[in-house]
Formats: sequence, structure tokens, C-alpha cells
Amino acid sequence: MAFLEIKDLKVHFPIKGGIFGRTVDHIKAVDGVSLAVEKGMTYGLVGESGSGKTTTGRAVLGLNKVTDGKIIYNGRDITSLRGSKLDYRKDIQMIFQDPYSSLNPKKRVLDIVSEPLKNYEKLSRQEIKKRVQELLELVGLSPESIVKYPHQFSGGQRQRIGVARAIALKPKIIIADEPVSALDVSVQAQVLNFMQDIQSELDLTYIFISHDLGVIKHMCDHIGIMYRGRYVEEGTTEAIFNDPQHIYTKRLVAAIPDINPRNREKQLHFRQEVETEYEQSYNDYFDEDGLAFQLQTISDKHSVALPERS
Amino acid sequence: MEVNNMEMEAKTQESSQSPSGLIILWREIVRDKLALVSLIFLVLITTFVYGIALFLDQSEIIKVDLFAIHEPPSKEFWLGTDYGGRDVFGQLIIGTRNSLSIGILVTLMTGVIAIVFGLVAGYFGGAVDNILMRILDFFMVLPFLMIVIVFVSIVPKYSILSFSLIMTAFLWMGKARLFRAKALQESELDYVQAARTLGTPSIKIMFTHVFPNIYSIIIVAMTLALANNIGLESGLSFLGFGFPESTPSLGTLMSYARNPQTLEYRWWIWLPAAILILLIMLSIRNVGEALKRATDARQRRG
Repeated sequence: MAFLEIKDLKVHFPIKGGIFGRTVDHIKAVDGVSLAVEKGMTYGLVGESGSGKTTTGRAVLGLNKVTDGKIIYNGRDITSLRGSKLDYRKDIQMIFQDPYSSLNPKKRVLDIVSEPLKNYEKLSRQEIKKRVQELLELVGLSPESIVKYPHQFSGGQRQRIGVARAIALKPKIIIADEPVSALDVSVQAQVLNFMQDIQSELDLTYIFISHDLGVIKHMCDHIGIMYRGRYVEEGTTEAIFNDPQHIYTKRLVAAIPDINPRNREKQLHFRQEVETEYEQSYNDYFDEDGLAFQLQTISDKHSVALPERS
Repeated sequence: MEVNNMEMEAKTQESSQSPSGLIILWREIVRDKLALVSLIFLVLITTFVYGIALFLDQSEIIKVDLFAIHEPPSKEFWLGTDYGGRDVFGQLIIGTRNSLSIGILVTLMTGVIAIVFGLVAGYFGGAVDNILMRILDFFMVLPFLMIVIVFVSIVPKYSILSFSLIMTAFLWMGKARLFRAKALQESELDYVQAARTLGTPSIKIMFTHVFPNIYSIIIVAMTLALANNIGLESGLSFLGFGFPESTPSLGTLMSYARNPQTLEYRWWIWLPAAILILLIMLSIRNVGEALKRATDARQRRG
């Protein structure tokens, strides 16, 4: 049994319309996503804007209401728990995309980082202060920062504060929602490497949401590629990058820039090839609504959304 | 290196003093001389009125004295007397105190209702928001003046508190709507979502996360409402639906001017009250406008 398992998750948002605000239709933000994450691994969710990757992550935390499907954490169904049964939240934390809006501007770093500690652990004031300073040191900020306000930090530093807050309760799983996309490229690597460091140190499991394939390749052991609420391809990082099967994945992989100028011709050629294939065989990969098909297993490490003809 | 660190330290020290909303509000008032003068005037008049009122005997002031009707200002009666021979200066002081008390009381009570209502509706949204807003709409359509008039006729003897309560019941809606809109906006931000994933209870999120981020708007709305409430009380008293003559109010003094004789020949009865209402309301508005500018960084002067 996997550590965290999502079974056929659906998150639909109603579209209200008409005179009485009836529900006329649904936006299928997430439409039948299944995945399994093993302990200690990094699972990457990739997709373009609006493909439902963030919604999937938020549904695991209970921030979005699950329409259908199951989320099983450590053998326990956590799909729609409420009230006192929310204690699993202690184990699953989130790093938010925007380091600016995810920190309350009116609170000091001490208050921000100590918030989860105050909620779940009964510690004295001195102990809390000590723990917060330890956490800040762990994320590479000076312990004196505790009296500062978020606006006094740079984007990268703010994201580290967000990380410190997320790891304060020693969670088992961290859902990282595009943790570096709002950051300067020069700081991205810094935060990513740091995240890898604490992963081995604290034995963390990451669900890493991103649209940046370079970052995903660097971080993840396993990847799921989403398109319009559905999976198009799923597998180990090697399988996806070396042997992409779905045309959507191929296009994504083709779009990764190569830094070596000698390969420029080759890259261009490859890209044009993929583009013609896309134009010619679009209907083989997407149904009449332009959505992906059900996943077909092609090897034990790789499954692709293809029509049921093979 | 050492020097560099020291400099950094000094810089962070400096900037760490800037974020507080209260300091921004205060700086804006100091920059706006008119608002500063208004604020000083308000503080002086309030301490003066509440201070003097301690030494005045209300029952003595409202006692009718037939031998001193319509006396012009003199050493004994600093601002003359009215048609019942009652000292206008005493009535002015006690009246200002009553008007201010009602204004402040109503503002505070409507403020508390509006904050709770607005925060709950804005934070939870959805069905809760819908139900609360329909309740608010119901209160909005009730005819405020008519109900106050009915209230005045069925309650034989009312106090500052009961009068404030009836006004409060019909004056919280506008602010509640404003606070709800702001709370809704703020609740969408990631830090509120983050607080939820960190296991903070909803009530705590509302009052420790959302509230501090909208409180400058609350202060502005309450200040402007204070001026309105004082004006409203004076207006009701002027129309005869406020306090009876036995409880002095600025509006009651003004209402004596409805008598043409008084209006033309006995200025000392109504003119001081009129000027005082004008000055108090103008001053509060000046302060309020300065605070309003302070909440919008683009309009700020300071």
C-alpha cells in the first residue's frame, strides 16, 4: 500500500447561471486523477496553467471540496474529514506558490512560523522561540529574523520562511505548489537544493507541482503529466524524459531549451518533427472534446493515455 | 565586514518601524495641518465638555425659572436663558456631552456588530454569506425614521442607552457590507489558506489574521460614521423625535430656532449650538478624510 494514494479524484466547480443561480454546468478542474506516492519519494505534477495540478494538491489538504474519488493517507481515508478528525493535517503541509501573499504582512516571522506549533504543540513561550530559531537556522535565515516582518525579506527569503512554517510540525508529506516559480532564477536553485537537503534530513515526501520541466527533472523520481484535468502520461522521470509516448509529453519535452549551441540544429529539427506529428495525429491522442483518454499501462514504470486500440 | 553588518542592522531597525497601520494613520494626520488642528480641537472640546459636565447639575439646569425668561447673555447666565428661563450655557455643555456620548456609543455598537457580521460573511462566503446578506438586506429596507418615531411614542422615558440601541439597530448595515467586502478580498489570499492548513481554527483566523489586515479601513469607516451619527442624533432631536427637553441635546437647542422671534432676536439660544455642531462634524470629517487617504497609498501625503 502506498503512503499517499489518490483514487479517481474528481474536483468539479459548478457554473451558476440563469435567474435563480442554478447550476448550469461544471468546470472539471480535476477529472479522474489517480496516483500513488511512496514514502521518501518526490512526485512531480506537471501541466500547463489550468490543468488542475494545483487543485489536486489543494484537494489533498482539504482546501478544495472533493466531488468524487478517494484520498488515502497511510491507509486512512481522509477525503472529506471535518472537525477533530483533521489531525492528519499535521502530517501534510503545503508550500505556497506566492511567497508574497502567503505570509500575513501584519505578523512577525516569530508569529508566522510559530503558528502551527501553537496549534498542535503545547510549548512555553521560551520553547516556541527556541524552536522557531532552530527552524530559521535550518532554512538558512539568521535567528535574529524572528522580530522582522515579511516585507523586510526578499522573495527567496520569504519562500524560506514559508518552508520553515511548513516543516515546523515535522510533517510526513509536503505539497509544494510551484515553490520556485515566483522566484528569481538565481534563487530558484538555492531553494530547490535546500528542499532536497531537508528531504533527506527529515525523511520527507514531496508532491512537487510545477510547470517547469527543468525543475521537475532535477527534483522528481516520478512524474505525472496533466492536461485539462486528466493525466496524459505517468511514469518514472527517466521513462518520461527518455521515452515520451504521448504527443503532449513529446511537445513538452521538445520545448525544453538546450544550452549547447552545437545541438541547435538538431533541436530545431526534433521540434519540427514533433510539431508535424502533432498536427497529423492529433485525433489519435485526444477524444472529440479535446480531452485525454484513460491511462494504459505500457510498462510497470510507465502509463500513457491512449485510445483502447492497442 | 563588521561595519557592513552594523549598517545592515541599522537599516533593518529603521524599516522595522514602518509597517504598523496606526503609525501610517498618525503620520497622515500630522502631515495634513487641517486634520491635525481638527483633531486637537476635538480632543479639547471633548475633555472640556466631559470635564465641565461633571460640575454641572442637570436637574438644576433644566429647572424652569419664570423670572428669568429669555435673558440675554450676562454674568449670571453666560449664554442667556431660553423660554423656560433655563441656562443655555449649561444646556449647551450637557447637550454636547449627550450628543457626543450617543454618537460614540452608536458608532462603537454598530462597529462591533458590523465587524462580526462582515468578518463571518466575508470569511466563510458561500451559503453563510448569502444568508447573512439577505438578513442585512431586510434591515436595509426597513424605514428607519418611521420606526424611530414609533419607538419614541411607545417608550415613555428613554435614556441615552436605549436611544443608542434603537439607532444601532438600523445603522450597522452599511459598514457591515464594507467590512464584508474587505474580508472577502482578504480571505482569498494565500496566508488565510495557509493558516487553515496549519490547523488554525476559523474564529482565530478571522480575528488574528483577517481583522488586523482590514482594521485601518474599519477605523476610517468608524470615524466617518461618528460624524454622521452625531448629525443624525441632532437632526432627530431637532425634529422632536430625539430626547425630550428635560434631557438637553444640541438638536433640541437648535429646534428653538423654529420660533421666528427666537431666530431673529435671541441668537444666544441657538447660534452656539449650531456653530458647535458644525465645528464638531467638520472636524471629525477632516480627521476621517485624512485617515481615508492614509489607507490608500496612492493618495497619501505623508
